[in-house]
Amino acid sequence: MKYGMVIDQQLCVGCGGCTLACKAENNTPGDINWCDKITRTTGKFPDVQFEYVSTMCNHCDNAPCVKACPTQAMHKDENGLTVHDPKKCIGCKACIINCPYGVIHFNWEKPHEAWRDSEALVDGGTSAPLDLLAMVGGEGSPHANPERAATYPVMRSAGTVEKCNFCDHRLKVGLEPACVEACPSRARIVGDFDDPESEVNRLIATHGGKGLREELGTKPRVIYIRNYSPERHA
Amino acid sequence: MHIQARDFMTPAWAVIGLGLVLGGSVGIYEMFFGHLFATNSALVWTLPLVVYVFLALASTGVSLILAFGLITKNPVLEAETRPLLIIAIGLLMGAFTALATELGSLLNMIWIILSPNPSSPIWWMGTLYSIELALLAIKLVMNLQGRHGVLDRPLAIATLVVAIAAAFTIGAVFGMVVGRPDYYGTFLSLVTLTAAVVSGAAAITLLRDQDALGMLTAKVLRAGAAFLVLVVAIRLVLEAGPLAEGTLGWARLWMLIPFVAVALFIDWSPRVFAGVALLGALGLHYGFIITGQLVSLGPAANWFGAVQTYQPNLPEFLILVLGIAVAAALIKLGQQVLTSEPEAAE
Repeated sequence: MKYGMVIDQQLCVGCGGCTLACKAENNTPGDINWCDKITRTTGKFPDVQFEYVSTMCNHCDNAPCVKACPTQAMHKDENGLTVHDPKKCIGCKACIINCPYGVIHFNWEKPHEAWRDSEALVDGGTSAPLDLLAMVGGEGSPHANPERAATYPVMRSAGTVEKCNFCDHRLKVGLEPACVEACPSRARIVGDFDDPESEVNRLIATHGGKGLREELGTKPRVIYIRNYSPERHA
Repeated sequence: MHIQARDFMTPAWAVIGLGLVLGGSVGIYEMFFGHLFATNSALVWTLPLVVYVFLALASTGVSLILAFGLITKNPVLEAETRPLLIIAIGLLMGAFTALATELGSLLNMIWIILSPNPSSPIWWMGTLYSIELALLAIKLVMNLQGRHGVLDRPLAIATLVVAIAAAFTIGAVFGMVVGRPDYYGTFLSLVTLTAAVVSGAAAITLLRDQDALGMLTAKVLRAGAAFLVLVVAIRLVLEAGPLAEGTLGWARLWMLIPFVAVALFIDWSPRVFAGVALLGALGLHYGFIITGQLVSLGPAANWFGAVQTYQPNLPEFLILVLGIAVAAALIKLGQQVLTSEPEAAE
């Protein structure tokens, strides 16, 4: 088993649903998105072209972050995913510097601290965040997804990094990653690159495809197929 | 030596104490309470890491010069063994202090030993500097106990080898980053090794009596500065040509000025120009470490702009103060307690 993902640029409408689904599923802090986007704007008005590239950890076969991590906190798991062990993370940020995709993030502060505020915005009129958290429950945040805890801490620590792990807690129970499930146009397909009959391999065989910054030799396992070409639907 | 409280009631200790309190407050807050540095998700290594590199390389340079002197049995450097060991240890501890404030979780450093990754330049850097510190400590203890014998030469050779490897490895921490063209390549290892010799010689020139050293380190400093001028000039020429996509180029003409001045005028006032060399080395490290991160990668360009700007903030400047204050405190304490030359320490 070797997980990978195909993103169909023709089908991606740039809605950002993947980003929001990821955020809800993985309880990422406000300023950290495991799933994000690259926007490329080229040309000059009125001939401007805009490209939206949905992106996250590329789970590279030759991952620079894994090589650079001094403590093996960033490592490959049995399914070839690049995963992070926060207990071993010393906060050196070598993975962030070495990742050519800019998709690893550092918790400069303790995440979700706003929910520990005991002061209501309007005294007697609104609940204090801490009161709301006590009423609703949830680890550190009322939005926390307890299922996340199966493979990764729901609440991350200050001084450690975090990144996409392809929702490995969902893959383990036969579900697709949250970003894949949420995509309204099925632009994201996850599957087994080792299986020649898998949908991901069939799509790559049909359309070709390319990973981001492949020239660096990282061997990314997120492959983009087709280009956004609105004239096809004109 | 008998130490009394009044030995610490001096203007030098007052300045050092102020630096320790101001910088230490920021360091403790940063490590345990909150975040004060001017960083973001795409610009993660800022002035505190520059301070670490600067002080660690200066310590490496002192070790290199001393080890070379001991191996070649240079009588001038042999006579300075103890003070130079104290300087090297002090600078390295100052470097480690700056690094500690930069790391998110210091206690997790134990995983460097329990879960090592030999493919990581940072793991090698940590290992080499730990060995370096142990070698310096062993040599200092042997020196204090007056034990000399068959181990002297092997220890000096080991220190020389480890110091050269450590300086190279600091360059490799940046040079092995494939996705950032301003860092990538072996060039930065050449820069860090040369800068280590220059800043080490400058630290010795600044802190030791030049009559005793017979201008020896000033000569090393002049030669090192001239070579560093050549290195930076080569980089300027390389960066004047077509650049790979995502390259900004870190070499600047101003980086040549301090080293040209040192190479030409050090005889006028060795201590003043040693200070100039140290400032130049700090500026050089700042230049390449910061520039290498300014081009935002991937989605970071949406959040922080395609090319970022960086200005150190006050807490980061205070970490510079802290690193230097820790080094100064240990060097001065060592000279007061372990040598009989308080006037030199002053």
